[in-house]
Amino acid sequence: MAAVEGSGAGGTLFPGLADVSISQDIPVEGEITVPVGSHSPDEDYSTLDEPVRDTIMRDLKAVGKKFVHVMYPRKSSALLRDWDLWGPLVLCVSLALMLQGGSADSKDDGGPQFAEVFVIIWFGAVVITLNSKLLGGTISFFQSLCVLGYCVLPLTVAMLVCRLVLLAGAGTISFIIRLIVVVAMFGWSTLASTAFLADSQPPNRKALVVYPIFLFYFVISWMILTFTPQ
Amino acid sequence: MLPVGLELPRVLGLLRAGAAPGCSGSSRCCTARGQSPSDRPRQTLPPGAGPAPRRCPGRRIPARGSPAPFPWRISRPWSRGRMKQALVDDTEDVSLDFGSEEELALRKARIRHPLATFFHLFFRVSAIVTYLFCDWFSNSFVACFVTILLLLSFDFWSVKNVTGRLLVGLRWWNQIDEDGKSHWVFEAKRVPTIAASTEAEARIFWLGLIICPVIWTLFLFSTLFSLKLKWLALVIAGISLQTANLYGYIHCKLGGQKTISRVTSRLFGTADVPQRQSRRISEDGTEEHGKAVPR
Repeated sequence: MAAVEGSGAGGTLFPGLADVSISQDIPVEGEITVPVGSHSPDEDYSTLDEPVRDTIMRDLKAVGKKFVHVMYPRKSSALLRDWDLWGPLVLCVSLALMLQGGSADSKDDGGPQFAEVFVIIWFGAVVITLNSKLLGGTISFFQSLCVLGYCVLPLTVAMLVCRLVLLAGAGTISFIIRLIVVVAMFGWSTLASTAFLADSQPPNRKALVVYPIFLFYFVISWMILTFTPQ
Repeated sequence: MLPVGLELPRVLGLLRAGAAPGCSGSSRCCTARGQSPSDRPRQTLPPGAGPAPRRCPGRRIPARGSPAPFPWRISRPWSRGRMKQALVDDTEDVSLDFGSEEELALRKARIRHPLATFFHLFFRVSAIVTYLFCDWFSNSFVACFVTILLLLSFDFWSVKNVTGRLLVGLRWWNQIDEDGKSHWVFEAKRVPTIAASTEAEARIFWLGLIICPVIWTLFLFSTLFSLKLKWLALVIAGISLQTANLYGYIHCKLGGQKTISRVTSRLFGTADVPQRQSRRISEDGTEEHGKAVPR
């Protein structure tokens, strides 16, 4: 502080402090404040420090809303904006569970069948996404995965119906019923996902994007249709 | 090392220096005796933060000639003798370490979020344990697969959304704005007086975050070399989920280097990503890195 230095020339430079000694017992005045974060703005407070239950409920509601959007496909951006992969995971697991143990060359526990379904769905979705990105699409990677995964919902419903029908019998009539149901759900899935994904493409490339999606859902529908319980 | 742990001694040092214990009766100061905790204006801080630090006005220069006790606990050789004398003589104003009572209380409560810490480790460890010992539990491959997959998913979600922000105050997410552009946002909460107790939590957090992907990588090699390929999908899923969390939190910690965020957004984002990296310190002290416009 100036007082300490000014003792030598105190008389002229610092007249008021001329008689202040520089012995060590001169206290130093000052304030040291530790900066404190002021009260957070509401938005950050609510999401950074919200109770866990709120987080869970919010995410669950988002997932539920997306399921509703798939069943009634409208041009809304909710599915695209807040993507999440919970729905695809649940659908994939349930579809794989229902499809296991259904082919002639499966092992005892249907193990490889189960993993096959998983790999087909996820790998297929990744390939479609890469394809659409390489064609110059403006949708992001995870958004596309999210849409494709959620649009498996109609096919999961078809699988459920097929299993129920197969409980009744495995004759021609049941096959026809299953065929109709699977074809209808396949059409629904393809239309729903195309409604969300095709918009992000330039117009002359839409067919190039829709075709892999068509193929993807076709393969899944084929697996569902050819499922025979043992 | 973790800035969380390093900041505390510095902050407490400041707190110590800021205490002005040598107060005469006329000046206003906040010794422990003079002011009870209830008097002080409490700031409503979010639950994750430590207690509010105190502002202490400085000590006024006393009238000429009156010997004043040395207020600062700076040990210079020529002042030590005087300081001790001052401490002994001055019975009214004892040089107090302001942080001491809080420090002790905080140190005692080493884990402030026991539930979050438990769940942070629970899902990861139980996924690994189930993978290792699934043959003992059940013969069914499907049941093991689904169980481990669900555990991995719950672990991913809880570490990303809950334990990260509770234990270390970090968070990362992906945000898509109106134009359909996707941004990855990495956020670090900067509260200067983060409590000493969170050192243990931070240590647990980072250890759990780093060790588990390493273990899953070991599983990957063991699966490949022992040709148990039906587990391969699961192991790859485990590695990718846990590595994603690890990468996200490291990115939050390191503060968003430009190259990393640009590579990420080009891979997962859309064509034009804003080049400007916005680093905004908002008034509540949280610092956001990344290219996003904050929500």
